[in-house]
Amino acid sequence: MATKLNRRVVLAMAGASTVLLAAPLAAQDDTLRLAFIPQENPDKLLGDIEAITGWLSEQIGAPVGGFVTIDHAAAVEALRNGNADISFMGALPFVLAEAEIDAIPLLSEVYRGDPSYTGRVFVRRDAGIQSLADLRGRDIAFADPISESGYLYPLAEFERAGLIDRPEAADAFFGRVFFAGGYQQAMQAMAEGLVAAAGASQYADLLLTPEQQSQVTWIAESDAIPSHVVIARPELDVGLRTRFVDAMMMLNEPEHRDKLRFLYGPDGYVRADPAAYEGVRDLARRYGLLK
Amino acid sequence: MTLRFPALLLAAFAGALALSGSALATPAKEAPWLPEAAAYRLTLFLGNLEPLPWDDVEAAWSEPHRNSHFSFGALARLDEDSDVKPDKLMDAITSEDRHAVFTEATRLIALRLEEELDRAIAAEGPATAQRAVREARELYRAFADGIAAADSEASKRIGRAWLELASSAGSPGLLGAGTTPTSTEAMATARAVISDYLADNYLPDTFTTRRTLSALPETAVLSGRSVEVPPSLPPGSDIFDQDPLPLLVLNFEEQGIDETDLPLVAYGDMLFDSAQIFGSPARDIGIACSTCHNRSDVNQRLFIPGASHQPGAIDVDGAFFNPIFNDRRDDPIDIPSLRGLRFTGPYGRDGRFASLRDFSRNVIVNEFAGEEPTPFMLDALVAYMLEFDFLPNAMLTVDGRLTSAAPEGARRGEAIFNRPFAGLSDRSCASCHVPDANFLDRQAHDIGSVAQVYEGARAGALDTPTLLGTVYTAPYFHDGSLPTLAAVVVWFDEAKSLGLTEADRDDLTAYLEAVGAADEPYEAFGSENTAFRLAFSELTTFASTLDTLIPQRDAEHILLLVDTVAADLAADASTMSNLAARPDVYALAKGLEEVGAAVRDEDWVAAEASWSAFKSDANAIDERAF
Repeated sequence: MATKLNRRVVLAMAGASTVLLAAPLAAQDDTLRLAFIPQENPDKLLGDIEAITGWLSEQIGAPVGGFVTIDHAAAVEALRNGNADISFMGALPFVLAEAEIDAIPLLSEVYRGDPSYTGRVFVRRDAGIQSLADLRGRDIAFADPISESGYLYPLAEFERAGLIDRPEAADAFFGRVFFAGGYQQAMQAMAEGLVAAAGASQYADLLLTPEQQSQVTWIAESDAIPSHVVIARPELDVGLRTRFVDAMMMLNEPEHRDKLRFLYGPDGYVRADPAAYEGVRDLARRYGLLK
Repeated sequence: MTLRFPALLLAAFAGALALSGSALATPAKEAPWLPEAAAYRLTLFLGNLEPLPWDDVEAAWSEPHRNSHFSFGALARLDEDSDVKPDKLMDAITSEDRHAVFTEATRLIALRLEEELDRAIAAEGPATAQRAVREARELYRAFADGIAAADSEASKRIGRAWLELASSAGSPGLLGAGTTPTSTEAMATARAVISDYLADNYLPDTFTTRRTLSALPETAVLSGRSVEVPPSLPPGSDIFDQDPLPLLVLNFEEQGIDETDLPLVAYGDMLFDSAQIFGSPARDIGIACSTCHNRSDVNQRLFIPGASHQPGAIDVDGAFFNPIFNDRRDDPIDIPSLRGLRFTGPYGRDGRFASLRDFSRNVIVNEFAGEEPTPFMLDALVAYMLEFDFLPNAMLTVDGRLTSAAPEGARRGEAIFNRPFAGLSDRSCASCHVPDANFLDRQAHDIGSVAQVYEGARAGALDTPTLLGTVYTAPYFHDGSLPTLAAVVVWFDEAKSLGLTEADRDDLTAYLEAVGAADEPYEAFGSENTAFRLAFSELTTFASTLDTLIPQRDAEHILLLVDTVAADLAADASTMSNLAARPDVYALAKGLEEVGAAVRDEDWVAAEASWSAFKSDANAIDERAF
């Protein structure tokens, strides 16, 4: 991708991804357009897009372009108005996009052998906290109010344990509920003893230092959460969609695995199962995120 | 914003105080630093070196640090995105005024932090507020270790304030759902906690002149209390293992002898991996012999600002590791391989030490400020290092001639290598790099590769290095100034007027590449044969020396071992693929700590019981330790 970023744009992107980094590619009938949502390293993302779209183009036999959107809403909007054909997002944004524009799940990311992961409730080993009930009246840090593994799923464990009867009851159960701004911030707050517990992805303790990792444990684990998903707009030509999926599945082969690093670094992909998102849909309804 | 987790977590540990703190040989990868915060941390680090590298300080602000996630430096960032002006800071750098640099750099970060807090409070929506809070917090990271060291209460108070700020900034939701509004009042209250502390400690009218530059809050310095900030490496540092990991060839192992049956060697192996034998700061940041010479080879990625001029090089007699041993010369050297060490003496790039034992003591005591090692420790270290063998190479006979496996060009190069040249005083390359003596002659020669340090100096002679294994140890020469073996050939051709044709150069390079090759240069890992598996095997082997040390009631060496191995076991568990088995490894480390606790209490019965339990537990989890 030949897009040139100026410094201010990159700065904003590095902070919170709120600036449109590149206009969607001009609509061309024969070009497959991929909308990427920025993660941590803007320079790297642009280089990655160039690398992966070039390879995909060779495999599919059609031009492939990519651009970076400001956020999920912009990606979904691009899918809706036909400026993008494909995008990459988490399970919750996908079910919202599905409800809004009938987005179709194509591929699920695989990490550590699974196309799913879980949310956990972490505590310090020396805190004397053995169960979720022990957290009554104590402070907890979640990652973000719209994070599957960093809020919705861990909080659901308190419902499952009968400690709260609805998400809104969390404020009454806990001393304080914080949204720390990310997994690492939530985990650090717990590891440093600023709060009693953290709700985060099952792998979030790996974001702590090795010494801190040995000092924390988890006391509850959620149901499986489908991992990030590659989605398509419903109107995308079926033939092109099939060729895209086939090309992406080639990334699982040893000779192509090195290219996975250009796509947010999963271990591989499997074909998505729409039924796997039923739990996310249910949860989104319970939290009032989905009608 | 939803959180994309797996890709991020697999990319990095993100401990805020990573690359510092406990004495582990398992460094943690840091979360990316903002350019301004990185420049500040680099300034503190470089500002403590003698002589102070002013050009590096200037570059810390004008250029992105090494391996930065940003393609631009702090000054560019300030220019684009801030009203905080760096003019006074740059003036202070130009005038080489250390105290003024500290003052202005500290103010600059504090003002930037305040600027982002202002933006957070003034933000029109949660997304903007969240971004500003994140940015401010990343800037706070520049001060965080100083505050934590000086005032844990304030550190916690501010930590809670960051939580309040992030929470009260609200959420932009997702596709129109789940939006929560910003609570400006709550944000202002939390912000005041941070701003008040900044005003007192990082924005005072004047700063006390500091002997050691650190992020210690001004009130702590004024109090006169003795507060030590844990040593840390600045942004841009890299002390991680090589990737791919070199294959270690140990003579006894190739003969089928188990290291657990060689307790002296096993203990030396442990010492080679132990940061505990060094003094601060090397010990505190987890630097061991193996950090530079991992797997007996060269850590080509090692880099420490101010001590390395390029990756794979380090100045071990500079100001950082042991000030009393500071030779005040900026002369980092390319880290040499230790393969075949028993054949490569004398030791040191200029062969200054005839004895490996003397060389090792010098490394521990002088270069890295460790306490005087015991005779047993030196015996063990030497016993271990003498087992380092060269990498097997099917293209070479044992007496250094090419086999039929070598390419044709290399054969032609072999003839050139053995041909006398007038430019070499009628000697050949092979005169010094003697093929049947492991391609070295154990002598020092001045070949003109060292710049004369003063008029008439005769100080440029360097020990002839072996050519074995050199394909994997680039760059070349004592200062790593030549990037490839082809460049080495060109250098000799030009410096010594060898008169080689292009074809000759290619052939000679092919020969060097054949001599320097190896059948298997790297460790081969798989789904269960992981780097952790290797570490687990090594650490339990180290621990096996307790079978010898406990009966001898050798408390001193037992404690050094258990302190090293227990900490490394727990730390290395963070690298496991089999995450489900991590708690078992933590428990195992705890078991070894119990051996140490019993020995400290002189309760040898308990020590023996804990050691037996450790062995049993280690066996029980062996298959799952990957």
